[in-house]
Amino acid sequence: MRWLCDFLNSSIGKKISVGLAGLFLCGFVVPHLLGNLLLFVGMAQFNAYAHFLQANPLTPAAELGLLALFLLHGTVALWARWQNWRARPVGYDTVASKGGRTIGSRTMTYTAFLVLAFLILHVAMFKYGWGSAFHDEELFQRVMDFFRNPWIAGGYALALIGLGLHLSHGFESAFQTLGVNHPKYTPFIKVLGVLFAVAVAGAFAAIPIWACFLGGAK
Amino acid sequence: MNAQEKTMDVTLRVWRQKGPDQPGRFVSYAAKGVTPEMSFFEALDTINEGLVAKGEDAIAFDHDCREGICGTCCLTIEGQPHGPDQAATGCQLHMRAYKDGDAITIEPFRARAFPVIKDLVVDRSALDRVMASGGFVSVNTGSAGEANAILVPKDKAEAAMDAAACIGCGACVAACPNASAMLFVSAKVSQFALLPQGGPERDRRVLAMQRQMDLEGFGNCSNEGECEAVCPKEVKLANIARLNREYIRAMFWSHEVHPKVDLEGQEE
Ligand code: HEM
Ligand code: FES
Repeated sequence: MRWLCDFLNSSIGKKISVGLAGLFLCGFVVPHLLGNLLLFVGMAQFNAYAHFLQANPLTPAAELGLLALFLLHGTVALWARWQNWRARPVGYDTVASKGGRTIGSRTMTYTAFLVLAFLILHVAMFKYGWGSAFHDEELFQRVMDFFRNPWIAGGYALALIGLGLHLSHGFESAFQTLGVNHPKYTPFIKVLGVLFAVAVAGAFAAIPIWACFLGGAK
Repeated sequence: MNAQEKTMDVTLRVWRQKGPDQPGRFVSYAAKGVTPEMSFFEALDTINEGLVAKGEDAIAFDHDCREGICGTCCLTIEGQPHGPDQAATGCQLHMRAYKDGDAITIEPFRARAFPVIKDLVVDRSALDRVMASGGFVSVNTGSAGEANAILVPKDKAEAAMDAAACIGCGACVAACPNASAMLFVSAKVSQFALLPQGGPERDRRVLAMQRQMDLEGFGNCSNEGECEAVCPKEVKLANIARLNREYIRAMFWSHEVHPKVDLEGQEE
């Protein structure tokens, strides 16, 4: 199995691990978003969905898998970034891009930490009820209670825009990393990546904005 | 005054460093009476003639062909490896890109794998060691074979030629925010992977070259695309995707175990 260690240790192997895990995380984000949009449909529907997930015996296994994906994605990506930082010990006095980098690609490390901080708070608040006055309330109520606070709602919206930036580069980058670069498909993947990033950030951020500022939590 | 007679005065802010482990600093030099049709390197030559006349150390900078084919020149000009022109090397830059009174900062290519030797000259032998680790085909020497004995589809031949246009200047490394050598390595892997002659050693080659690239201390690619933008030979990012595919193929589908190579590029 030495080859497997070599794979994870190699620059390309690291990239492939980060990219694959990243795409799986993108795959998680979609059903998570669709489920959360039930908040707009109504209290009863959303709570029924929450009960279904909580009662499902497969949920803990899925949660463990998700945690493993996050750990793999985050640690390998930051390990690669650390090496990248060391690969240029003496920097330039003047740097001028000739094109190539985007705001998304430039801010990858920052948006990564923003999303990480957000995820920790997010799971603590909504899953474990940290900072909530009641511990046995229905999930719909808990969400609305949190989002009545404009700081929490604003912070959520901001972090989700950060996730959008992360995906605006991450989505297409993962395909290139996996070797998918083709004159027929690459233009489509690039457009899809931007649409995906905007849709995910927009739809997720719409929830706290609606709840707090547009009277949804009333 | 017609365009031919117009001259300008510019200031060149140059990185000066006596030797590999010496501290370096920027020194400004005035280049007076520069004409637009002068090449950038001729402006540097003019300054150097002045320095030598005064008995001072000339600015060391790498150059050879001065026509964009050898890949020896390695200046970062105003934050851009090879300067502002598209698809051109630093030696192809002309002073018409600048105007009177401009101050132009010149630095060496910066990467851990490219240590500074002196002033603007860096050691790029890391790229040679990557080539020595696998960037070749093993053939029996002797009289050349019949040219059409092995048929190559035209599109494949052209893609291989486009990759082989790489002159190994290292600007991709210099421009990459991660100091990654992936564009260079991908061009070298592609030029063989696309041709039937490269087939027999395909898996071994990509694993060995990747390994050597990592050992040299280059960074990891994060698909920023700055390399493609500065490449004087317009080598495309599609080559990096091909390198990734070749790597996946060799890693998971071939019987090849990771070849062990040391820093000299020799197999252990
Ligand atoms: C829902 C959450 C997340 C999703 C969907 C996601 C998705 C992605 C994708 C698809 C990529 C591109 C991979 C590639 O270029 O091959 C990426 C890159 C990256 N991710 Fe994430 N990510 C998420 C969370 C995180 C977190 C929490 C961290 C850090 C703790 C992180 C750190 C990074 C970094 C540093 C990169 C750049 C890697 C590189 O190119 O060197 N990501 N992400
Ligand atoms: S000196 Fe030969 S390419 Fe610039």
